[in-house]
Amino acid sequence: MPRSSCVLVALALALWTAPATASAGRQVRYIGIHPLPKAEGGGICYIEGPHVHVYDADKVQYRDHRGAHYFVGDPVAYGYDGQRYAYKGHHPIHVSAVVGDSEPDDEYCYLSGPHYHYFAPPEGPEFQLTGGAYFFVGEPPHAYVEARPALMKINAVYQPLVYERPVVTVDAPVGWIGARAEFAVPAVVVASPPPVVVAPTVVAPAAGIRIDAHVPMPSVHVDIGIGAPAVIVHERPVIIEERVRVKHDHGRHRGHR
Amino acid sequence: MRGWVLTAVALVACSKAGDGKATPRDAVISAWKADQLAPTSMAPAQVAFAKDCQGGTVSGVDVLVCNFASPAEAKAAEDPGLAWIGATTGAAQAHGAALIVAADRKKSDPSGRTINKLMKLAPN
Repeated sequence: MPRSSCVLVALALALWTAPATASAGRQVRYIGIHPLPKAEGGGICYIEGPHVHVYDADKVQYRDHRGAHYFVGDPVAYGYDGQRYAYKGHHPIHVSAVVGDSEPDDEYCYLSGPHYHYFAPPEGPEFQLTGGAYFFVGEPPHAYVEARPALMKINAVYQPLVYERPVVTVDAPVGWIGARAEFAVPAVVVASPPPVVVAPTVVAPAAGIRIDAHVPMPSVHVDIGIGAPAVIVHERPVIIEERVRVKHDHGRHRGHR
Repeated sequence: MRGWVLTAVALVACSKAGDGKATPRDAVISAWKADQLAPTSMAPAQVAFAKDCQGGTVSGVDVLVCNFASPAEAKAAEDPGLAWIGATTGAAQAHGAALIVAADRKKSDPSGRTINKLMKLAPN
């Protein structure tokens, strides 16, 4: 990917994921561990129970739990240094079990590759621990499938983040959601066709020719597919148009030299 | 007459403090002290959502601990307790019949570890 495109993608993601300060110091409710916005110094908020801040959460990495924002991303990416558990692929999060309340709430993590959470899944048949990582082998409900197109965008947030991700080298167990055809995910496809340069047609004498090269800003379209790793980045080709302006020489034209 | 009233108030205050029965707040503060989180001198605090509150500071975090007659009343005071926090990071949680409110007004607990510890140490 060209550097300019990388910068644009990073800028877009930063704007997209940056939590805004809540209006006029309005309290915003959170529950569980979550990253702090860079404007607040970055890092991690380690308050596990319900609490408030005066900044908003983004829409992709948080879910609503009884009116509070619950973080479903990978806290290690933001500097979390506590106990962690490795997962691979999509899986449910039983939020009430994590935060310790009695309000049933199943949310879904759409991080496609290996990642961490600060909680282990509950014991039972829907998760299998293989090679040190948890794989979801249960039956995903309709709610997971329905929300997937929108919430898969979280992968675009994490793709550029540089941090120590879990290394999972074992084969996935039978029934893993990431290996099931109906939930399969296209691999990362980064299509960046070479720039197309439209050559000018010179219709004027060389003398007085001025060439204006108009280079439009590259347009980056991020498309999210289904499954892991799911970021598909299509870049529109850069088209360089060269315009030719002709200056008249008032009869003194002597042709090309 | 005034002397009798003052004496009566003093007696009631002494009986509350000295009847030997630990309040929910006492249990909370004891748990904090046991983990080296001793609050600065707790002083009575007037708030709209509770009648028996004391406020102080623990490791730079402002705290308010209120006694209630029942856990249900303490739970019901969680939302009003958020108002005491104001425009900063904080938490208001009921632990048994005590309501604990913590507010990081001085930004001395940016990671929230102190607030988390205060809440987790408190007995339910």
